[in-house]
Amino acid sequence: MALNFDKPLYSLSTPVENKADQATWEGESLGGITEDNNRLPIPVVWLLLLTVLTAFAITFPLWGQRPNAGLYVDYVKAMNTPEIMAIQDDKAAMAKIIDITKGEISKHVTRMDYEGLLARHPLSMDDLRIIKPQIEALMSAGKDPEEYNVVGDLVVLANFEGNLKADGKIENRERKQPWWDKGYTIDIFYVIMFFIGVTIVIKCLPPSTWQPKHHH
Amino acid sequence: MAFREYKLGARMFGLALGGSMCITLLLPAFDFAAVASTDMGLDKQFTAGHETGFSLDDPFLLGWNKPLKVTLKADPVTGQPMEAKEVYVYQKGTTFPAGVLHPRILGKGIEELSVQKGKISEAKKDAGAVFGLAKDGGVSYVENLTATKGWTTAVVMAAANAGKDEDISHAGAGKTMFVREGCWWCHTLLPEQTQDWQVFGAPPMIGDFNGESPTAFGSDRKAPDLLHVGSRNSSREWMMLHFFNPRLVQPHSIMPRFDYLWGEKDANGQKIDFDKWRTEYDQYRNGSRVTPPDVPAYSKNSEIRYLVDYMMSLK
Amino acid sequence: MLKYLFAKNEDIPAGSAAVFWGFSAIVWFVIGTGLGSFNAAKLAFPDFVTGNEFFAFGHMRQVHVHAVIFGWISMAFGMAMMYITPALGNTKLWSEKLGLWNALMWNIGLSLGLVLLWAGVSSGREYSDFPWPIDLYIVVFMAVPLCINVWMTVINRRTQGIYTTNWFFASAVFMVSIVFLTGNLPEFFHLTGLTEAYLTWWFAHNVLGLWITPVAAAIAYYTIPKVTGNPLYSHRIGHLHFWSVVVFYSTPAAHHLMSAPLPEWLKSFASVEGVLILVPAIAFVSNILLTMSGKWYMFVENLEVRFTITGVLMAIPLNMQGGFQQTRAINWYIHGTGWIVAHAHLALLGFSTFLEAAAVYLGLQMILKRKLYSLTLGNMHFWMLLIGFTTYWVSMTIAGLIQGAGKIYEVPYIDVVIAEHPYMIARWLGGTMVFVGNVLWLYNMWMTARQGTVVPEGRMPHELAYER
Repeated sequence: MALNFDKPLYSLSTPVENKADQATWEGESLGGITEDNNRLPIPVVWLLLLTVLTAFAITFPLWGQRPNAGLYVDYVKAMNTPEIMAIQDDKAAMAKIIDITKGEISKHVTRMDYEGLLARHPLSMDDLRIIKPQIEALMSAGKDPEEYNVVGDLVVLANFEGNLKADGKIENRERKQPWWDKGYTIDIFYVIMFFIGVTIVIKCLPPSTWQPKHHH
Repeated sequence: MAFREYKLGARMFGLALGGSMCITLLLPAFDFAAVASTDMGLDKQFTAGHETGFSLDDPFLLGWNKPLKVTLKADPVTGQPMEAKEVYVYQKGTTFPAGVLHPRILGKGIEELSVQKGKISEAKKDAGAVFGLAKDGGVSYVENLTATKGWTTAVVMAAANAGKDEDISHAGAGKTMFVREGCWWCHTLLPEQTQDWQVFGAPPMIGDFNGESPTAFGSDRKAPDLLHVGSRNSSREWMMLHFFNPRLVQPHSIMPRFDYLWGEKDANGQKIDFDKWRTEYDQYRNGSRVTPPDVPAYSKNSEIRYLVDYMMSLK
Repeated sequence: MLKYLFAKNEDIPAGSAAVFWGFSAIVWFVIGTGLGSFNAAKLAFPDFVTGNEFFAFGHMRQVHVHAVIFGWISMAFGMAMMYITPALGNTKLWSEKLGLWNALMWNIGLSLGLVLLWAGVSSGREYSDFPWPIDLYIVVFMAVPLCINVWMTVINRRTQGIYTTNWFFASAVFMVSIVFLTGNLPEFFHLTGLTEAYLTWWFAHNVLGLWITPVAAAIAYYTIPKVTGNPLYSHRIGHLHFWSVVVFYSTPAAHHLMSAPLPEWLKSFASVEGVLILVPAIAFVSNILLTMSGKWYMFVENLEVRFTITGVLMAIPLNMQGGFQQTRAINWYIHGTGWIVAHAHLALLGFSTFLEAAAVYLGLQMILKRKLYSLTLGNMHFWMLLIGFTTYWVSMTIAGLIQGAGKIYEVPYIDVVIAEHPYMIARWLGGTMVFVGNVLWLYNMWMTARQGTVVPEGRMPHELAYER
């Protein structure tokens, strides 16, 4: 099939091909069901655009369902301050920790959505006591806590596939979800390919200005 | 008649479906292949054996072709007391789990240790083998104890049979019951993050499933998650009552009764009179009886014993 | 029908295969919804029929699911393909005989598979529960013969183009074979671990996305223009719909496992694709509703149009739910709850069933050349299906929200069970209403074949007045 790219938004077909298509269209009833050649109504086009934008927007920022340990580093540090140690009541201590770390966490966490993550994964003082030694061990080993997830009562390496580290080895990738997240990037290419493909297919049909006369 | 050509469409279709399958099947396959088994994954794989769903080795899901998990408190060869050790006994003819048949499933590091130090490649199906987990430099690996220590299945089973029955676990066959009875239609094996885990225990890690089939996560949770049920509740007595009739211990439960897993006879070899039990239970329910009838103790080789063993193995 | 199994293909009256498929579908629908009603009763009243493993919930649940998916829905699809594909190709079905045998093999295979499932012989994998020999049977004796018949009919058509419905039919019968072979690889080759878990949901997602959704939609592309007499609003929107189904519906499998430890990139990918399922949905709904222009009175007056348009309208909430419930932002709350059960029934009992019911109503009247026996029974069937389904959907959605709250706020599980009890009763009542409606339908269709007014040659059934 020869494609004519002169006026792609009008039609990708040559006038000859359009004529042939129109003749085909007029000459058959397609098994009793004729069909029209209308374009997509403009409001529906907007709806589709909104859908595509929403699909990406709602998935970004790319948070996993498991919180990363970096979120709690400041909590753990705060636990060692005399101010917190002086509080006997666990609930009050937790509230105080949240209060004094407010505004601090963003300095250590690269994730822009940390507030939502903290809200979805609130901790009690008991939970903090369980993960505290694990997070401290990570910190003293010089690991990046953001590469670790808090899964239940354990702090484990995350499933993310991020930037290459300085040594350049693929298996040592950062375990942080980067802005170019693989799945997300594939999605962008995939959607672009889809719309290009559909446009080509649709523009190979006769232009929408032409309507078949359903031979009555 | 000049047919409209569908060359472009057919090619586009192949491209679209092929592209989709590349992204959704081929790309993740590399990630899955690179997953190294966790300790929990190794234990689950060797406890459950080769396949738990339908297979030609167990076409009616009766718990055939499954290993036993035995807790040894003494060296089975020398008889010397030792620290309790759990071993997986694959008796003659039992299919080995995927990780023995294809060691790369165990994951990088574990594979090399298991083959070189653990000698898992020397295990023979027609002789049977006993496996255990061992550690080397912080990495767990699988050890073929028959090859490394001479613990043959006969020796280990002789020691196990001489010891207490509770040290023998039929958890592998119990998982078959779990699949066959459709427990997973209501009980998930997948605690989630957020607050869910604080009730049901830690969500699974990525390497917790190597070699396991089926994983039976379940999707529709009409009842508590069971991934760590053995840690929450280790009472066999409670399990027994609950399986026989859940309403005995939890009046509001909507779980079905699994009394038919008791089989014909109870632990003492007496025939179980189910009709009498149900009649008496109905009397108890309508108030004409003060206490519910006693639940018969299950026999050593009943299907319910397998299932309870499986529940206990879910730590 | 059975007498034609060994007849010469030329001697078999056109439409015989479709009638066989159609009545099989209705019978499976009665069986499937009856099982559903029975299962629902057990969830509301756990001591209802006990002491026998064959009536245990864990043995019956999957029989209900597979009876409706592969019995009712898929056989209704087969029925639609048997009469719509040739009608749109202005030709006869390639082989009525193959169609008849295919329906017979389908019934045999499904009965065998369901008996095995009932006995607990299962692969332990949701939606691909059938043991692998049955999976192979399904491909070889059920899917591929259907594929051959549809493809040969399309290839031997006497029109120049292929109408939208037939693109979907031809590609869906092909894709469902691929999905069955690929999705069951873990069973054929004993793949284990995350691969098994992921392929289970790859299968489950794609059997819905590449079989049930596109074929159901394709049916609406036929019934609405055919009955209303309006040409399809747009051939090009049909293209958008078709291509977006292939591209966006085949990719989000991982969104069923958002809380499982899959690679996170795969979840992000699937999540975006999951929302993009709205693209085919919007294309489909707008195309059909715009085709209705000027004929909206038929939504009230005509039974087939009413069924179809109700199904099409249900695609709107269905896809709004489906698009967004799988995103991380919402999935953590409702995953694994009754909300999903309600959603699944909105897809299969709401959207899909209403479209297929229209195709079966219309097709049987057209092939048998008999007017529907009783409009009253037809109306009762419609309303019992709609009210029964709505009761089910509303009660399960509420139950799901309760479960979600229970999950997040650490409510002891038994309190959730207690709170759900009234909704379980409502679900049972709704499901039972659907079942009773289907019994009426079976009677109505049977009487149509026996005593319906004869439709004269060249007329459509809806052009005649009802007698009852």
